[in-house]
Amino acid sequence: MIGVLRIIVRNPMSLLGLILVGLVVLSALLAPWLAPYPDHNGAVVDFLNNNRAPSWNNLMGTDLVGRDILSRILYGYQISLVLGVIVLAIATPIGTVFGLIAGYRGGWIEVVLMRIVDIFLSIPPLVLAIAMMGVLEPTLTNAMLAVTLMWWPWYARLVYSIARGEREEGYVVAAEVIGASTWHIIFREILPNCLPAIVTKMTLDMGFVIIIASSLSFLGLGVQPPTPDLGSMVAEGARYLPDSWWLTVFPGLSILVAVFGFNLLGDGLREALEVKS
Amino acid sequence: MTLLALKNVTKTFRVNQREVQAVRNVSFDVREGECLAIVGESGSGKTTLANMILGLLGATTGEIHFRDAPLPARRPPELRRQIQFVQQNPLSALNAKRTVGSSVRLGLDTYRIGERAARKAAVEAALEAVGLEPELARRPPGALSGGQRQRVGIARALAVEPSLVVLDEPTSALDVLVQARVLRLLNELRAAKKLTYVFITHDLAVVRNIADRCVVLKEGQIVEMGETAALFDDPQHNYTRNLIRAVPVVDQTEVELRNKLGKFND
Amino acid sequence: MSLLSIHDLSLSFRGVHGTTEVLHGISLDIAPGEKVALVGESGSGKSVTARIVLGLLQELPSARIQGEVRFEGQDMSGLSRKQLAANRGTEISMIFQDPTSSLNPTFIIERQFAEVIRRRNPSATREDCIRIAAQALADTAIPDVERVLASYPFQLSGGMNQRVMIAMALVNKPKLLIADEPGTALDVTVQAQTLQLMRQLTDDHQAAVFFISHNLGVVREFADRVYVIYRGRIVEDGPTEAIFADPRHAYTRALMNAVPRITGTGLPDIPERSDSFEAPQISHGSAS
Repeated sequence: MIGVLRIIVRNPMSLLGLILVGLVVLSALLAPWLAPYPDHNGAVVDFLNNNRAPSWNNLMGTDLVGRDILSRILYGYQISLVLGVIVLAIATPIGTVFGLIAGYRGGWIEVVLMRIVDIFLSIPPLVLAIAMMGVLEPTLTNAMLAVTLMWWPWYARLVYSIARGEREEGYVVAAEVIGASTWHIIFREILPNCLPAIVTKMTLDMGFVIIIASSLSFLGLGVQPPTPDLGSMVAEGARYLPDSWWLTVFPGLSILVAVFGFNLLGDGLREALEVKS
Repeated sequence: MTLLALKNVTKTFRVNQREVQAVRNVSFDVREGECLAIVGESGSGKTTLANMILGLLGATTGEIHFRDAPLPARRPPELRRQIQFVQQNPLSALNAKRTVGSSVRLGLDTYRIGERAARKAAVEAALEAVGLEPELARRPPGALSGGQRQRVGIARALAVEPSLVVLDEPTSALDVLVQARVLRLLNELRAAKKLTYVFITHDLAVVRNIADRCVVLKEGQIVEMGETAALFDDPQHNYTRNLIRAVPVVDQTEVELRNKLGKFND
Repeated sequence: MSLLSIHDLSLSFRGVHGTTEVLHGISLDIAPGEKVALVGESGSGKSVTARIVLGLLQELPSARIQGEVRFEGQDMSGLSRKQLAANRGTEISMIFQDPTSSLNPTFIIERQFAEVIRRRNPSATREDCIRIAAQALADTAIPDVERVLASYPFQLSGGMNQRVMIAMALVNKPKLLIADEPGTALDVTVQAQTLQLMRQLTDDHQAAVFFISHNLGVVREFADRVYVIYRGRIVEDGPTEAIFADPRHAYTRALMNAVPRITGTGLPDIPERSDSFEAPQISHGSAS
């Protein structure tokens, strides 16, 4: 772990990623204390102060009902990260188990499982999410469900390709000859060899999940007002460009910073883990 | 006593709509306590034969018997335990993501050998028995040299107390000095633990010094079989002669032996 | 004059965890047309020596090289990258351990040959290349030259690919052929034939061979002179006959004794490591 960290810190790009991600995570965790106007994440209006350009009172300006944009961005990070973590926490294990079983057992099990994966992969992700949200109520939970459904097959495919390669390796044959159970071989022998790739993908995915969730909210299909969501903030403000530019630019930039940070970190992680092995 | 018996074993593979016979009508016995070498070049079928003995593949026709009872590919755990494996490539034979000790321990846990609390000590004893320091149990395979990893592979195979060990080119990937030590170790262990070896190799010089009897395979068939010393002194089949003749030798006495066999011919 | 002259060559690598010294001042000479073997185990530094001669290692930023390497009298450290590259495939060529993986799997043999031939003769036409390649392959006793030229490496056997590689390495008539563990990946009967072939062809072309190996038996049959390398130092050198008849350094003796004999002399008890291996170099001088 320390070795990996050291490699990441040495590379300027991945160090930048680590810093950005650190900032995002800290902002999300400490939002209630960092936000200048902590109650602005809820149902608060202040029409006297609405649509104000950035000033010393509101570093990123205020939105159309007078809420402080900076505060809402910090809380928005909370929502994004929670969404990302929960989606990945569910999608990754499901996809991984699918991929491990299909990759190791082979035969008709492999065919059936991977065709199911193919079906999910053949639907454009955003279309699937929109279709689902069209059917269900637009809430954060349902948004998470939709995104999870489109996410797990990618893990299945990743783990499947690794497991297929590993199943021919000497240590797997050795375990089979010793008489270890299939359960042991899949989870205690092969899975540890898939973890670097999985962890790297999860880090990169955080950025992508944030974008997908923001896209859903942008379309009005995700989180509903007054909950602050970076995507909806961008959507609301888009109409008022270029005059009230701060309504869109700051939320947009905050998405960019988060995604960029996770991408850089994920790249650095991948390189670091490759170097180690 | 015959430990392992192969009778008319054939293995056919389907490759690209063609049928390939990797092993053709092979029959031989392995006596308890001996070291039987299976000698062959690439394409001889030696690896396929090993895989069938180990239960990784099933024979297409023919029978394999272990202690006079049938030995199928899918076999019950107690039978599986009796026949173990040492591989050629020490690097890939150990899981890079697990410690050396946990790899050796796998067999102990699978068959519940000894009390759980005592298994850590059993692993350390197993490592010592192959000439390794017990502290290595905590290291990952990447921290060990090729020779050390191969010894770990041997320790792992022996930990479950098998009767028969199949060794597939166990020293081919090792340096000269390391190979010499590992071969000695294998010899010592066979005597000490009353093991039987099926030793697969293409290296005739190794065979001459470690095997009691040899089976020479060519393209899936046995061309010659017999006591090692007799086979080398007076090989009957042309292929055997060619194999011996082709060994790059170091000593003058070896050169004389080779010259006695006549010229190399196809 | 020496064709290749290495004098006091040292090599170290700067890595994440510090500097690793690989070669500690080795010296060796190869005369034109001579077959010289460098024998050692893994980690001895034999393979990196070959790559330094080819000028390949110099491009690595983490490599620190000291000492002199002279080819045909010219100091290689004075050569630019372009000049070093120009030598490869023309004056100095190399063959590798595993023939099938050393050939490009996506091109047929004819195409790969053409690439090599054009290193020496950039304006060679396709007909020229085919003619030259066919002759080169025929010299290696390959019966069906046309079929081989039209094949991909994976369609040919290991032994066949080894012959192709030797033919390609010699087609530009290099002065020096570096052979890194050739035949190790081949069956023993094929290896024997290949080595015979290599000996004959290099004699015909009057090419010197720098032969790197861990296999003493192969070295005995192939080389005129032998250098034994242990952990980055040459420990013994001399004419092949002298070394094999009378190995003097403790490491050389250990290597000799460790090789199993087809006469069945048993498995001797030899240490993997010993302080006596670090003893200074013993030279046997030239053959009488």
